[in-house]
Amino acid sequence: MKFWGVRLASILGAVAFCFLLEAVAQGQSSFVQRLFVLAGLYVTLAVSLNLINGITGQFSIGHAAFYQVGAYTAGFCASRFFAQMNLPPAAWLLLMMVTSAITAGLAGLLVGLPSLRLKGDYLAIVTLGFGEIIRIFAQNQEALGGAYGLTVAPKIQYVWAAWLLAILCIAVCRNLLRSAHGLPFLAVREDEIASSAMGVNVTQTKVVAFVLGSMFAGAAGAILAHFESFVSPPMFTMDVSFTIVTMVVLGGTGSITGSVLAAILLFYLPEKMRDFTNIPLAGVAAAFVAISAAVFAIRWVMQNFHGSTKDRAIRYLGILVGAVVIWFLSKALLGNVPSLKENIDGSKLRMVVFSVTLVVLMLLRPQGMLGHHEFSWDWVRSKFGKPTVKEATA
Amino acid sequence: MTVFPHLLAGLELSTLPQQLVNGILLGAIYALIALGYTMVYGVLKLINFAHGEVFMLGAYTALFTSWSFGFTEVGNKQDSSPGILILMLIVSMTVCGVVGVLIERFAYRPMRSQPRIASLITAIGISLLLQYGGQLFLPSSPPPSISDKVNPFKGNIEIPLKPADSALLAQAEQLKAKVTSTKAAYDEQLKSEKDSFNLSPVGKELRTASQDAERDYRNAIDKANKDALVITLPQGQVIMLVTTVILMVILTWLVMRTTAGRAMRAASLDFDAASLMGINVNTVIAFTFFIGSALAGAGAMMNASFLGGTKIDTFFGMLPGVKAFVAAVLGGIGNIPGAVLGGILMGLAETMVIWAGYGNYKDAIAFIVLIVVLLVKPGGLLGSNKVEKV
Repeated sequence: MKFWGVRLASILGAVAFCFLLEAVAQGQSSFVQRLFVLAGLYVTLAVSLNLINGITGQFSIGHAAFYQVGAYTAGFCASRFFAQMNLPPAAWLLLMMVTSAITAGLAGLLVGLPSLRLKGDYLAIVTLGFGEIIRIFAQNQEALGGAYGLTVAPKIQYVWAAWLLAILCIAVCRNLLRSAHGLPFLAVREDEIASSAMGVNVTQTKVVAFVLGSMFAGAAGAILAHFESFVSPPMFTMDVSFTIVTMVVLGGTGSITGSVLAAILLFYLPEKMRDFTNIPLAGVAAAFVAISAAVFAIRWVMQNFHGSTKDRAIRYLGILVGAVVIWFLSKALLGNVPSLKENIDGSKLRMVVFSVTLVVLMLLRPQGMLGHHEFSWDWVRSKFGKPTVKEATA
Repeated sequence: MTVFPHLLAGLELSTLPQQLVNGILLGAIYALIALGYTMVYGVLKLINFAHGEVFMLGAYTALFTSWSFGFTEVGNKQDSSPGILILMLIVSMTVCGVVGVLIERFAYRPMRSQPRIASLITAIGISLLLQYGGQLFLPSSPPPSISDKVNPFKGNIEIPLKPADSALLAQAEQLKAKVTSTKAAYDEQLKSEKDSFNLSPVGKELRTASQDAERDYRNAIDKANKDALVITLPQGQVIMLVTTVILMVILTWLVMRTTAGRAMRAASLDFDAASLMGINVNTVIAFTFFIGSALAGAGAMMNASFLGGTKIDTFFGMLPGVKAFVAAVLGGIGNIPGAVLGGILMGLAETMVIWAGYGNYKDAIAFIVLIVVLLVKPGGLLGSNKVEKV
């Protein structure tokens, strides 16, 4: 009884949260509404990619392909059937989300099948290639609008839809991990051969992960198509795929909480950077120098220093101060170089920030921000000194 | 063939030989880049995603070197010499080699003890960093290109496969006299005209006559040449091919005949055993990266300076890099002759797609080939299919 109570409460809470966001967004400018929706979509994309990358361990870097399949499905159907169907926008959007999820799921099946024979870097390349093939295909199909793109007829801009999808995606992945159905996924990640020896159907598990992950990406694509009321091939380049991969890697492959946090962080940060329009190039170059110096100093401490945590923290602090000093010095030094005297737009730094994040993360903390850890109320309780459920029942 | 007549509608057999030759020339460049992928994979089992970006930096190095010799876009330097080209090649190769070694030292070496996915993510990160970071510091909009004047070899080499119809050609030659005479008359008239846009009736008549004669002559020539088969090779591209072959010979000598090459082969056969045998694997890996990146640099320099007007931006290396990677996989990754074979085949595949009238899909073909190869023969054409053991 308590179980169902908690479950019902969390479902209601989730729905309430979505409509609360909607209510908050209503009063805001259209730019802020766009941020809200896109953040929700990126959370969906990151968590669904995490299901493939982090939880099942199949390294896919072509998630934008499924996003695109979903978006184009919705765009294509909307231009042909919306007028005849005579549905209210919300019902149409839900219908499109389901349709797009199915087509993207089929595309996921198509990619999942080769993944049975490939692993690691080969699989990564194939997924990347698949994304490019889909994009180039759409670019050359007149029925799909060609290079110009498709205009999607009804503009449906619901903030709640994006976040409901995100929460659904989180819930599905979380429940999968918590239930017996999710164990094969983890087993395949840890060791394919061993898990197949233990009776796990490796093939089926991988394909299910691909299909499930791509279905959520497809549904996200449907929302995107109706939100922007426009889809075009340049919206789904490799950059989008790499952005999503960065989110998953930063959050910690395998941690849903991490993916959510990283998606919001990495989505918000570049948007915030657009506000800075006059960044001196010398400062950016100096930042490269300072970050590289700091990264290798931290690595040195990590490997060669075995003292107490406090001493270690002091050293990290010292490195931080040193990095700032290096930044100021090299900025002053580089400021004299004539080609570095320009100022640049913050929006240009978007992918630079992502790439630096990826490299620095891999050098310092390859398991990501949270590693395999998840957020839980137990953890919150333990922070307040209360016993966790396990301890209480033991 | 009869099933898909519309799919193959664009085929024209007469252009096939030319396209085949183009494919081999293009494939030579892919082969040069693919060698870098395959050598690094052979030793480290790592797909060096940043290899395409090393290629891009090579093109920029060649550009800057040509600028330093005065071949800027606004410069009026006319004379070039093969010496300048050789110098550009050497500078590009050296800079790329050093960049490759630096990337290995600071990004890949710390990752060596981590799972392979970690190095893959690092490689992607480095690649993105060079693409987008380079955009901040390198001239990229509008994309510059190496001045045509750098290349002193301008002419074409023509290899006739089937001569033109001599009777029709003779007829066309007869028309040529008329062309010259009408043109001369028109030119004469033009001198007495006030301006060429506002001709008097006589001038107009002469102009029409001259243009008609010219058109007739062109038509006749085209008609005579319709059945002729001539393969046109720009001299620059021939030099490109020769240089590529020379570099590959040097590479073969380096890998098969020198101590460093033997160490490289040992490390690629068994990394740990090689280090137990007293081979300094770090040096070997740095050497491998240097050679591979230098080859990419050579390819970039030749691509950017012999194919006139090639625009260079920071994404210059992305597609060639991906295609060369596919070439390496096609030939069997880790296998040096395989990379060359795969490169040539990729070049051919690309030109064949263009020849069949699907030019829009020329970038997708690489991935299609890749997927097919990985599904049908994952080891590649010359590679071996290894079964994973527990």
